[in-house]
Amino acid sequence: MTNPDNNSSNGKPVFPQEKIKIACKRVNVYYGDKHAIRDVNLEIGKNEVTAFIGPSGCGKSTFLRCINRMNDTIDICRVEGEIEIDNENIYDKSLDVVLLRARVGMVFQKPNPFPKSIYDNVAYGPKIHGIASTKGELEGIVETSLKKAGLWEEVNDRLDQPGTGLSGGQQQRLCIARAIAVQPEIILMDEPCSALDPIATAKIEELIEELKENYTIVIVTHSMQQAARVSQKTAFFHLGDLVEYGETEDIFTNPVNKLTQDYITGRYG
Amino acid sequence: MSDEHTVKSFDGEINRLNDVIIEMASLTKEQVRDAVTVVVKRDSELAGEIIEKDPAINNLELESHELTMRLLALRQPVAIDLRNIVVSIKISSDLERIGDYAANVAKRALVLNQLPPVKQARTIKNMGRVTYDLLKDVIDAYEHQDVKKALDVWHRDEEVDDMYTSIFRELLTYMMEDTHNITACTHLLFIARNLERIGDHATNIAEDIHFMIKGKPPTGRRPMGDVDGEFDIFDH
Repeated sequence: MTNPDNNSSNGKPVFPQEKIKIACKRVNVYYGDKHAIRDVNLEIGKNEVTAFIGPSGCGKSTFLRCINRMNDTIDICRVEGEIEIDNENIYDKSLDVVLLRARVGMVFQKPNPFPKSIYDNVAYGPKIHGIASTKGELEGIVETSLKKAGLWEEVNDRLDQPGTGLSGGQQQRLCIARAIAVQPEIILMDEPCSALDPIATAKIEELIEELKENYTIVIVTHSMQQAARVSQKTAFFHLGDLVEYGETEDIFTNPVNKLTQDYITGRYG
Repeated sequence: MSDEHTVKSFDGEINRLNDVIIEMASLTKEQVRDAVTVVVKRDSELAGEIIEKDPAINNLELESHELTMRLLALRQPVAIDLRNIVVSIKISSDLERIGDYAANVAKRALVLNQLPPVKQARTIKNMGRVTYDLLKDVIDAYEHQDVKKALDVWHRDEEVDDMYTSIFRELLTYMMEDTHNITACTHLLFIARNLERIGDHATNIAEDIHFMIKGKPPTGRRPMGDVDGEFDIFDH
């Protein structure tokens, strides 16, 4: 296999229309003069975990951040093309970005709880989005979100303690609970386990597995084993190109592209 | 494998595994060649050597399994590396079985050598040569990562199966003609069966090579001789 042209992954894998949650069409991203993402076409399936892998600087995080318009916050960044969530272009001028970010939650590499209590960390989003109308309702959301994030058992007796006092793994699960609390449809995770130990990592991976029942998850990871363990689809990026996209199983047993093979087998230098 | 891993010791371990498989393969190949020679030339001394050498093949199989376990546990191989390592497990057990069949041929030849020579032993020679060639070619295909050659072996196994069926029929007629032939012919029949099984294992190896390189088994029906057609004889 030779280096593919930019459109080699167009339409692969093909989902039936009703299974597509996110459809990216000819997406290009520029940081000033730097062309960071080149003509990426990619469809992401509903209630699936999709992993983005690739060497540092390949554009996988940049691409992830396009999905909830986080790149809007960077002045020199310019995004072209279309990204549709449920057939609606999220770059449409009439779209409310704040609402979009409630629909598309995000979890970052380093756990970043607010310097507030555990309770307030989770309650903040529902409060400002007006999701809960009564105190009781809000308490219910906090409890459910913490339960879904697998943290409830560990923190239910100290909800008034600062979130920053938790262990790294617990903080990350708190951030996931915070993301879930605003009832998103999609959760973006940018290397969510890179600062965690193996046990905390395993808990997050188990959580991802459970969350995919209700959410569509896109995860950027540097750990190929993690991508193999948690995702159903894997996309390999290289120098801003989407080189290969397919079933995770196929990518890790029999990748089509030589670049993909070299990268995942540790021959990339 | 064409390109090197960033971690050189990974290459070292994979190469070591492939070397063990190749060493095992060339030893097995010699055993099969010698086993056929033993039958044709009634060489009991060589038969003894074959039987003595068989444990060496078994030991290499164990060594390959240890290397495989180590690679799987420590390197978490994927894609071509994973296929290479998994296929090594399969090929090593095929080679080990081939070694057993060669030793079995030698054991039966030792008995045959105590009996008066039977001229039918010569028909075994042809079958032995064809089987040996299959094995030699499939081992070549493994060493040189040659899918075309592996596929060629895959298609040629039918020839061995057909020879087996024809030898079976031939030996039956000799046994019917003169009951004194029964002991020798029975041993020859088992020898032919062993050779036919060696051909089958060579075909398995050919499929594994295809899978290792292409990531999928060869397509189409596996060519099969009418080995079980032998039972027709009892029906008539």
